[in-house]
Amino acid sequence: MDFISNKSPQIAAMLSEIGLDGIDDLFSSIPSDLRIRGPETDDGLSEYEGLRLMEELAVKNTFSSYENYLGAGAYEHHVPALVSSITSKSEFLTSYTPYQAEASQGMLQAIFEFQSAICALTGMDVANASVYDGASACAEAILMAFRHHKNRNKVLIGQSLNPRYGAVIKTYLQCLDYNIVTIPFTKDGGVDLDFIRKEADHTTAAILLQNPNYFGVLDDVRASFEIAKKESIICIVCADPIVYGICPSAKELLADIAVGDCQPLGLPLEFGGPYAGYMACRQDLVRQLPGRIAGETVDTHGERGFVLTLQAREQHIRREKATSNICTNQALASLASLVTILWYGKEGMKELAMANYQRAAYLKSRLQKINGILISHGRTTFNEFVAEFKMPLDKVIKHFQKNGIQPGVSLNNNSLLIAVTEVKSLQQLDRYVKVAQEVA
Amino acid sequence: MKTAFEKTQSKQRAYTIPFSYETLSFPFPPELQRQSPLMLPEISEIDLTRHFANLAERNMGIDTNFYPLGSCTMKLNPRVNEVAAALPGFARTHPLAPDETVQGNLQIIDELIGFLCKLCGMTAGTLTPNAGAQGEFTGIHMIAAYHRQKGDQDRTEILIPDNAHGTNPATAAMAGFKTITIPTNAQGDMNLDDLRKAVSKRTAGLMLTNPNTLGLFSPVISEICKIVHDVGGFLYYDGANLNSIMNIARPGDMGFDVMHINLHKTFSTPHGGGGPGSGPVLCNEILKPFLPVPQVYKDKSGYHVKWDEPNSIGQVAPFHGNFGIYLRAYLYAKLHGNFGLRKISEVAVLNANYLKSKMGQFFAIPFPQTCMHEFVVQADRFLDKGVRAADIAKRMLDYGVHAPTVYFPLIIKECMLIEPTESESKATLDHFIQIIEAIVNEINADPFNVFNAPQSTPVSRLDEVRAAKQPILKHTLVQPF
Repeated sequence: MDFISNKSPQIAAMLSEIGLDGIDDLFSSIPSDLRIRGPETDDGLSEYEGLRLMEELAVKNTFSSYENYLGAGAYEHHVPALVSSITSKSEFLTSYTPYQAEASQGMLQAIFEFQSAICALTGMDVANASVYDGASACAEAILMAFRHHKNRNKVLIGQSLNPRYGAVIKTYLQCLDYNIVTIPFTKDGGVDLDFIRKEADHTTAAILLQNPNYFGVLDDVRASFEIAKKESIICIVCADPIVYGICPSAKELLADIAVGDCQPLGLPLEFGGPYAGYMACRQDLVRQLPGRIAGETVDTHGERGFVLTLQAREQHIRREKATSNICTNQALASLASLVTILWYGKEGMKELAMANYQRAAYLKSRLQKINGILISHGRTTFNEFVAEFKMPLDKVIKHFQKNGIQPGVSLNNNSLLIAVTEVKSLQQLDRYVKVAQEVA
Repeated sequence: MKTAFEKTQSKQRAYTIPFSYETLSFPFPPELQRQSPLMLPEISEIDLTRHFANLAERNMGIDTNFYPLGSCTMKLNPRVNEVAAALPGFARTHPLAPDETVQGNLQIIDELIGFLCKLCGMTAGTLTPNAGAQGEFTGIHMIAAYHRQKGDQDRTEILIPDNAHGTNPATAAMAGFKTITIPTNAQGDMNLDDLRKAVSKRTAGLMLTNPNTLGLFSPVISEICKIVHDVGGFLYYDGANLNSIMNIARPGDMGFDVMHINLHKTFSTPHGGGGPGSGPVLCNEILKPFLPVPQVYKDKSGYHVKWDEPNSIGQVAPFHGNFGIYLRAYLYAKLHGNFGLRKISEVAVLNANYLKSKMGQFFAIPFPQTCMHEFVVQADRFLDKGVRAADIAKRMLDYGVHAPTVYFPLIIKECMLIEPTESESKATLDHFIQIIEAIVNEINADPFNVFNAPQSTPVSRLDEVRAAKQPILKHTLVQPF
């Protein structure tokens, strides 16, 4: 099938209008040795067949039949029903980047509100319209710091950063002349402050810490940034945005740039994407910020409206001198997150964060009492924590899976990274404990 | 219209927390608690619903209006794609799920890469780049990694034509390269003599869109590729314009080594007001070892993911990229088959040439030859009346049409880049032609309405200078008590 409107009568009429004998004449600029013969027979499907095919593929994924405790950067949360009803609206779904502001006020205002919501959560001055994901947000934040500190070439990154984010940062920096220095973590899962004291020097452009870190630990971010500030190092905190419901804002943590992934707010797991990276910063860094930014202005009648602004940072204006090559971002995904943030609102964001903390703390406390399971880190954790098993991990995981549970993400040291969000009931958590007891 | 931050009413709410009857009271350490107030609005579900319904009304989309935005391929976004992407079997899969529990996902990845490779004459690929620009980033890093592995440290330059998308030079710069600009000749093609002068042992590669951003296929493409290959450089294909050549010609056959496709253009995945996109990268055998991870492979026991490859440039995304987007493209490819994809390109090119043939009566056409899926017009005939391309574009909004891309490519004066796509019917195109005629008549009679356009949109012309000079980039709630 196809979705082409014009059929043979229109095609014939149009060809004759432009004075061509056939479709092939349209392609005369392509040298004949490069032209290929198209397929002779229709090898497409009907809509029904296509949908059946997708349903069959979806069924081959058995994952959704398990209770899921995997996190490590992608979390199962409730997605408000309102979200898809809004993101599926024609005008949002099928519009392009709002280049014609007067015809795109809905999306521009939504971007503006997204920026406002991210600033409210993080306490930062300005935010952009989103980047691809939390990982690229981290990488872009580091590049911002290197542009700010032109003569510095070192970045300090916590070893307790999500390793997949670390991998993306490494790729972003691999062709540039910068050094990544990894800050180790201590036995309790927190960042090694002594190491920061030693390494935070006048050659360091940025420090990047994750909070909660990869192990779910709420880290000594403020203390670390206090040290870094003595050398005017740009302080970047990467955080699950839900944590800001109860934990100090990025501003309170002394961050200059706040980044992270919006996935926990209204975006389904969807095998890793689309998610949306958020980026917010101090006012004086705004000209280093990559990506789209919506701003308020007025029209010729003095009515308020919104436009893409500060575009002199961007690739379509500045080309090789742009702050980033990013063009398409994750607008519809950030709209989903905006709807979710507003759905929860001021009180709901606190309750959501607290529910995550409480459910995870409950499971952690129950597992702690089981012989053969060791909770790896002594510090407070948010909605994720690490548990070390005495039994071989593959045996542990198999037993959980046999009981319909995906128990967590495997780490080294025979341990599991276990994520617990607001969607888990006490009954489910008790079942997790029971299965754990059987295999501990 | 008020923002959500101006609609707050004390204690109003839309949320519920699951199982909130299950009270737990693990203490949360005070020193870890937020001190600053959370300045988010409080809004009921009906007000929230209405807020976004009203916002949607203030936006044009392809569903509501003809949207001939050049270089953006605004075609129909079939709703069957949306139904498929929302299936719980996909939506609920975690990106680190055990391979055996996500065989459907991995099959889609493997088959879509295979399908796209065949379509483009390439041998291997990745779906992880999240948009076209990240695809460029991936491809240019692969080229850099190849030269680095050969010990070829002096290849510090990337050549880019002056009509290229802004992402091309920005990408090259992000990968640490110096960019060398190659001028366009009077026929709208790359000037070969300039290219010959520009290439050297410092050339890492050339980034090229073909058909280019003027909508023209380069008849000397094989020669361009030979010139760059002869000095040891690679050819990068910016696949933004692939909609014009599917199953008609293949980038691999032209001599390109690595490329990206914008699935949110050619393969109909919705652009969502600025993303998410998806920018798969395909390459030939030489650059294959440098593809990013994770990669999917198949053996007797099924599909598997590998996260390590010795020569890979590493990860460009934390997981598998925008899976929920490229699965739509997978379905789109299956629905059309290669037969249907060729028809898309044929009719996209026909629609563009039909429109172009009619535009000559209103505007200067800088390149009279047959175009591909899009074309440029030079709207500079009315400058003596003070009417610019931007004015004409704004007036189109009043007539219920989204404006074409304006002032790009930068090399054409008062440029409008028009791309109708295969989706649109002859009647829609004819209507568009009538609109242009009406606007031109207005300009000739009295350009007042054109200068003051748009007037029928939710706001009239917006002051962009003010937005940049006195930036207001967020709203804040008034401090509660």
